[in-house]
Amino acid sequence: MIEGVWLWAAFVLLALTTLVTRGSFIVIGERGRLPAVVLRALRYAPAAALAALIVPDLLLVQGSVAPFNSKLLAGLAVIAVALKWRNPWLPFLTGMGVLWTARWGGLA
Amino acid sequence: MAFNPAFKDGARAGLRAFMPVSVGVVPWAIVTGIAMRSIGMDEMQSLGMSLLVYAATAQLGALPLIASGAPLWLIFVTGMVLNLRFVIFSAAVAPALHAQSLARRIIGGFLLTDTAFAILGQKLAEAHDPVWRWGYYIVPSLYGWVLWQSGVLVGVFGAGFFPRDWSLEFMGTIALLIMVVPMVRSRPMLVAALVGGCGALLLRGMPLRLGLFAAILLGIAAGFAAEHWHSKRANT
Repeated sequence: MIEGVWLWAAFVLLALTTLVTRGSFIVIGERGRLPAVVLRALRYAPAAALAALIVPDLLLVQGSVAPFNSKLLAGLAVIAVALKWRNPWLPFLTGMGVLWTARWGGLA
Repeated sequence: MAFNPAFKDGARAGLRAFMPVSVGVVPWAIVTGIAMRSIGMDEMQSLGMSLLVYAATAQLGALPLIASGAPLWLIFVTGMVLNLRFVIFSAAVAPALHAQSLARRIIGGFLLTDTAFAILGQKLAEAHDPVWRWGYYIVPSLYGWVLWQSGVLVGVFGAGFFPRDWSLEFMGTIALLIMVVPMVRSRPMLVAALVGGCGALLLRGMPLRLGLFAAILLGIAAGFAAEHWHSKRANT
């Protein structure tokens, strides 16, 4: 493992990557105003980014695609619950409940 | 900082939107805390990393490199790539914070997270009052920071007590799902999500998780194309 001062140097470098990427356009401010068409396209960024984080997690089991697994089952249950009810806690209870039940039932 | 009515009003609206989904942040933070301890970092180092870096994906992605003694430049490049999606988010949020001072924009930028952007992004782009927008953005973001660091604290000091087979990190995925479901009610949004999701799955073999960034770009392009196609068909 990286030790001592070098470890803290690694943390500072990583902190820089956070600041540079997240800060970029916010810090540049007025001078970095993007064309309206780009801003309109960026409305799709959250949905695309969230799905890009979710889909691999629901379909991969130890790095390979497994269409029948407990995480996918739990994910589908969460979507169904979130579509039907507005309760903020219900998806968490349902999702974890289905996940544990499916695991307990022997599903990967 | 003057807490004028517009700021307070914005803060209240932001917290109301942010609160339910923020639950999913805690398990992720705890898992990140445990992960840092598990590669051999002590309590001080783990907390220091979290306070400085404040980015789950970059932190978790850098851990194997730190553990194996990789060169600093590689750790930096990996962090950049894992954080790259925030450049897009930053561009989208920037117009809402234009009116703020440089110091506030730096702090606001550092606190920009996936959750904050997904939950607050749309209203930020629509609201007209810069003071309301500042309250709506910064208060939930600070609350998210406190929540994250508290979770990390629990993970770092409780690393030995949490059974791994509870899969608590799945609560993070549930939180992401809750955010995406109300978004994809329009056809182009659904297209953006499907292409982004499938793209990330198909491109996962790309080095340094660049596939994640490429998939987001593809999703944005697909959503935008679907919107044009949709409106063209509606006009004829």
